[in-house]
Amino acid sequence: MIDFSSVADNFNVIYPELALLIGAFAVLLLGTVKRFAGLCTSVAGLTALIALWLAVDQFGTQQSGFFGMVTCDAFGSAFKIIFIAIAIVTMLIAHRFMIVKQIARPEFYALVLISTFGMIVMANTTDMIVMFLGLEIMSVPLYVLAGFARRSLQSNEAGIKYFVMGAFASAFLLMGIAFVFGASATTDLRRIVADFSYIIYHSGLYMYVGIALILVGFGFKIGMVPFHAWVPDVYQGAPTPVTAFFSAGPKAAGFAVLLRLFMFGFEGVAELSSIFWVLAVLTMTAGNVLALLQDNIKRMLAYSSIAHAGYILIAFAVGGEDALSAAIFYSIAYAIFNLGAFAVVVLLETRSGCRSDFSELAGLSKASPYLCAVLALFVFALTGFPPTIGFFGKFYLFSTAVKAGFIWLAVIGVLNSFVSVYYYLRVLKVSYFDRVEQPALSVSYTPAITLVLLITAAGTLGFGLFPQKLLEFAQSAVFAFL
Amino acid sequence: MLEVDGGIVFWILSFVILVSGFMVVSLKNVFHCALALVLCLFTVAGLYILLDAEFLAAAQVLIYVGSVAILLIFEVMLTSKLADKRITQSNDQALVGFFICTLFAVAAYLLIKFNTIWYPLAKSALPSDNILTIGKYLMTEFMLPFEVVSILLVAALIGAIALARTEKS
Amino acid sequence: MIPYLALAAILFSIGLFGVMTRRNTIGILMSLELMFNAVNINFVTFNKYVVSDGLVGQIFAIFIVVIAAAEAVVGLAIVLLIYRNWKGIDTDHFTVMKW
Repeated sequence: MIDFSSVADNFNVIYPELALLIGAFAVLLLGTVKRFAGLCTSVAGLTALIALWLAVDQFGTQQSGFFGMVTCDAFGSAFKIIFIAIAIVTMLIAHRFMIVKQIARPEFYALVLISTFGMIVMANTTDMIVMFLGLEIMSVPLYVLAGFARRSLQSNEAGIKYFVMGAFASAFLLMGIAFVFGASATTDLRRIVADFSYIIYHSGLYMYVGIALILVGFGFKIGMVPFHAWVPDVYQGAPTPVTAFFSAGPKAAGFAVLLRLFMFGFEGVAELSSIFWVLAVLTMTAGNVLALLQDNIKRMLAYSSIAHAGYILIAFAVGGEDALSAAIFYSIAYAIFNLGAFAVVVLLETRSGCRSDFSELAGLSKASPYLCAVLALFVFALTGFPPTIGFFGKFYLFSTAVKAGFIWLAVIGVLNSFVSVYYYLRVLKVSYFDRVEQPALSVSYTPAITLVLLITAAGTLGFGLFPQKLLEFAQSAVFAFL
Repeated sequence: MLEVDGGIVFWILSFVILVSGFMVVSLKNVFHCALALVLCLFTVAGLYILLDAEFLAAAQVLIYVGSVAILLIFEVMLTSKLADKRITQSNDQALVGFFICTLFAVAAYLLIKFNTIWYPLAKSALPSDNILTIGKYLMTEFMLPFEVVSILLVAALIGAIALARTEKS
Repeated sequence: MIPYLALAAILFSIGLFGVMTRRNTIGILMSLELMFNAVNINFVTFNKYVVSDGLVGQIFAIFIVVIAAAEAVVGLAIVLLIYRNWKGIDTDHFTVMKW
């Protein structure tokens, strides 16, 4: 007989996930009734808040459940908080935009919640089967969200490109997992780690190829050079709040899984460090150089997100607990100021007829000086100027690299940051100094987006000045496996 | 080299799989491609029976042949102009693609061939009661993935409806 | 088991070839299905010859079948949407933004 009594106890491990799912289905049900359709946003936001509270409550405990399929350690529960917070901010950003663009439908919120659920599943397991399922649950709603503006050709194109690239990457990833499975006879990272030397001794070559294929698969997902070609088109074509979500959520989730795979699972492969060295340099350089050429803000931010992924890849080359917490810190920091920057872009795009080209920024400092100041703050953070969180994140990341003896890597990182100054400051140059014939259109704030701007600006500046709390959070979020 | 479980059946099946697979990627008419895909997926199910995976073979026939392939055929009929068979189906990267893929296949084959020792080194019999064992697994160890995959299906359903439904104008 | 793995590798390469060369979006989807099937053959083969006990490989393969079905559904919905807006589904059309 199968004993089901233990199963009931396991559910407290997945309370936040359950809250998200309940929210998603409640939204879908409400959406069918015309009278309640207006409530969807609030219901989605409220359940996400409850999920956030449950996740914060969970943080610091080590739990495992469902026959070891869920391992909710400090690392996993830290990322739970991050993902849910990103989802909430995305929904706040999206609300007004979707109405203005006439694509406001309840499915949007349900899909965001389900995608967030997938990210949490992905980050809270050591089993590659569950990891892959989580990845798919994250990706499938994202394909839909990219094409959510159904009448816009750009959005359609983003949807199909993201779908083809995503499915292609999944096939590689699966082939990699199959190879690793063949070499080690298991899909559980903990067992792979335990038997690592034995596996390498017997079928090392096969294992290496499997790991390489997994890296290719995730490289596509996080937009690592040379697998980055889809990123700019998808970022530009997707509805802007969705782009904001892309650049924060799935990216953080991809890095969470990569960190778990490559800094825990396959840590024993010594060659990985030099491979990540090359990948980090390629990714940040290509991202920064190509960003110089862009005339569209969303496209520029897409290349900048590639560059930032490159900075985080430094942590993989360095390895160790310090690098891990530096990577987590930088992921959080990037999510905060990038969501802020996208909130500004969304706000600008809700004006009629705007396509987020650089030229549309002209005269912004006269028309809405406060918004322009906030934009300046986010741009400084993206560049890495003190006293923003962007500076501290980079400082922490590069100093761990230097401490571990990767001086050249840190130097290349710093040089890249200098290159990025040029295109980031172009945003400020256009909005503050460019002459305009007619005054720029004024923007209309809503409480939701004002709240987002306040939170992200406070986070960018506050954690930049007093990074201690966030630092402790990142440092406590190291792996602890059960 | 020619010693393989399943013997001649394996060789016939793999011949059909490869030929129909190649037809899927090379035929001019998309509709014929879809039919070749059905054949290919069906023979892969046969391969699963050779590999002692009866349940998976049944699932393959039901899900892949029964729904995915039919869905593809529907889609072909909805979107393509079948009458016009002169449309080129491939782009000009055929040579490069062929080169890369041959390289990949050869590399994979060499890899498989030279990796002679496999993990547990011992070959043991699979549980004879295949379906029962899978059922037990899905209710115990794999309960969470089993439940979670249903969320994926729901998400796909919602997404497909959200994208493809017609709007009242 | 080597012939099985070789078969899977060749099938995967055929799928890869299809994804790279097809102009028709549905053709790309079909090639992706071939790739997923190649992965499945790998899993089932390893399950028979490498795993000493249990059916983990087969269960993973079942999940992959389900995932491929879900992806096909979403992919075809996007294709249908594009066909409605653009009256064609060749990848050459997708140049609203520079590639």
